[in-house]
Amino acid sequence: MRGKALAAQLMLSVIVAGTAGSARAADFNWKKFQGKTVTFLANNNPISAALLTHKADFEKLTGITLKVDGYQEQQMRQRLVTVMNAHSDEVDVFMTLPSREGAQFAAAGWYADLTPLTRNEVAPDYDYAGLSQALLKAATYDGKLTSMPMNIEGPVLYYRTDIFKKCGVDAPKTIADVEAAAKKIKACDSSITPFVSRGLKPALPYTFSNFLHNMGGNYMVNGKSALCSPKDKAALETYSGLLRDYGPPGVVNYSFPQISALYRAGRAAMDFEASNELRTVMEGGDRLKDTALIPLPAGDAGQVPTAIGWGIAVSANSKQPDAAWYFVQWATSPAVQKLLAVEGIAPPRSSVASDPAYRKWIEEQPVRKQWQAALDVLAAKGSSEVGYPIVANPESREFIGQAVQALILKQKSVDQACADADKQLDALIAKK
Amino acid sequence: MASSLERTDMPDAAATLTEDRQTVELTALSAPAVAFTVGMIAFPVVYTIWLSFQSFSSTGQQSFVGLGNYAKLVSDNEFWHGLWVTVALYVLSLVLQLFFGVWLALVLFRAKRLPGIVRSLLISPFMMPPVVAGMMWLVILDPSLGAANYILTSLHLPPSDWLASPTWVIPTVALIDTWQWTPYVALIVLGGLQSLPPSVYEAAQIDGASSFKTFQRITLPLLLPTVVTATILRSVDLLRFFDIIYITTQGGPGNASNTLNIYGFRVGFEFFNIGYASALMLTLTAIVLGVVLAFNRLRGAVAW
Repeated sequence: MRGKALAAQLMLSVIVAGTAGSARAADFNWKKFQGKTVTFLANNNPISAALLTHKADFEKLTGITLKVDGYQEQQMRQRLVTVMNAHSDEVDVFMTLPSREGAQFAAAGWYADLTPLTRNEVAPDYDYAGLSQALLKAATYDGKLTSMPMNIEGPVLYYRTDIFKKCGVDAPKTIADVEAAAKKIKACDSSITPFVSRGLKPALPYTFSNFLHNMGGNYMVNGKSALCSPKDKAALETYSGLLRDYGPPGVVNYSFPQISALYRAGRAAMDFEASNELRTVMEGGDRLKDTALIPLPAGDAGQVPTAIGWGIAVSANSKQPDAAWYFVQWATSPAVQKLLAVEGIAPPRSSVASDPAYRKWIEEQPVRKQWQAALDVLAAKGSSEVGYPIVANPESREFIGQAVQALILKQKSVDQACADADKQLDALIAKK
Repeated sequence: MASSLERTDMPDAAATLTEDRQTVELTALSAPAVAFTVGMIAFPVVYTIWLSFQSFSSTGQQSFVGLGNYAKLVSDNEFWHGLWVTVALYVLSLVLQLFFGVWLALVLFRAKRLPGIVRSLLISPFMMPPVVAGMMWLVILDPSLGAANYILTSLHLPPSDWLASPTWVIPTVALIDTWQWTPYVALIVLGGLQSLPPSVYEAAQIDGASSFKTFQRITLPLLLPTVVTATILRSVDLLRFFDIIYITTQGGPGNASNTLNIYGFRVGFEFFNIGYASALMLTLTAIVLGVVLAFNRLRGAVAW
């Protein structure tokens, strides 16, 4: 009886909230902050580049002037640290990677809470519920929504169907198949790099995490670093072994630019790299016909792909968070995300993924269809855990990177590398 | 003429008064500029010193720790490793740049054909933004796709991992910096060569001194003050080595090229420990100042 009453109460509150929301949406006016200037600190990546081609549309729609302060990723963070430590209101809106710095920035109080804005200041067609709930959850700390998702991405395996055919290799279904394929390709054609992925220290946790999770490993168990657990050690050995034995020389300095260049040039058979590198990899059209694309094949724990997304946040120091929110709302609206989708920015909304214009773009190339299928797996099964789930996540990536590099360079045994990393990571976890 | 006479006839007291007024006026006029300059230098230094006495948690919480950051620095293996990498890179790069810089200056000094064009070409490496130079060398030295290994293998020589080898990364970075900054040293030394007194060379010629003896006994000693000046200028840059490493290796592979400057940057801007990063950077500043002062004294000793 009490359960029924509770359910009725809940239903009523949902209806009331919905009605109130509709009323607010009906009153919504894009010109409310006409004449204001909003400063946007952007990372010069393909997402912001695609978004900012529509800047004039935003300014026309709202009457708000958008001032863009664009930097490369590291420099953008450097600027943000300076601005936020000075409690300056110079930046109203900034791009952020919740999987990397979300906990840290949230704990430092740098994000404005977007929860009330998503309830009270939304356009009728915003479709908040249509956004990836997994990404929204990943950007929520202590009940506060810190950023809105701009895209969804994760590492996927690009592989050469022609080389696989020539060497008599089937499409890999497990991580063990990837190792076997690499071995066979190495024996079959010595001019080809069998496998390439990230070896650069701070960049590699992005790809390594997928191996770790697929193989059933965990970064932390009972509040302690677990890199020396059997499954974590197996992941360390597999990932570093693939790069050491089948990767290109100098792979320890490889991140996405070198990896995509190598694969695009036809010099690698398998490339485990970000889904949003599709456009770069396909540049020139040489790889359009001979590439297939899948999420990382299963390990002992099945498929637990890494799925992250860039977010767009309002600064806690902004003097005009409402006007800033209008830009955030516009940038993450279904209409704008449709425009970005056909430019290769994977949408964090299922409604956009099923939009006819986007579907048409997808259907144009088989590899795009595979790309979308891989993204669907990422959206359904993805984990946003890249590095340790602690406030000092960026620093934790350093120690993961050191352990993997020590194995690639044969500087340490796996037991030594994981023990050294665990020691440093436990100290980091203990730090407040 | 009349005014000159008037000035000569002016009583001493009145002249002193005018000079005093001029001094006061000049001081008053230049005071804002001096205050601004001092402020611009002093404020960041004082603020950094203050920051180095603070500890920042990962969430930005701040607390006063006195000399705690400096005590931590003494027991931090990464600091000592960074210092070693900084010194190794400094010594290797400086020796290479001074050797090739002096040699290049001597060649240019004797070059009679197209000196303008040659000198314009020479300054092009150090006019290049470090990011461009770093990206260019990153591509050239890529072990798989780069031109360097292509050339080596074409000559039947073994390829190298260059920037990806923990053993070779420091010499490789030193070579990139040498490529970029040797012409700068050469231009400074060339200026010094052009100001040497010809009479000394004429005397040496009359005494029948060989070219090598002339270089060893006359050119080199007379050039020493110029070489020391070039050393001071390059020391400041080399001890703060950052850009090329940041672009090419980010301190790797492992920590093989993690200079103090790179380490400090990462501690401050990636790990948010601004207090410890400030202590690291002030220590590096003290090292740079110490080296500059030592070479400054040396310059005084070799001046002629």
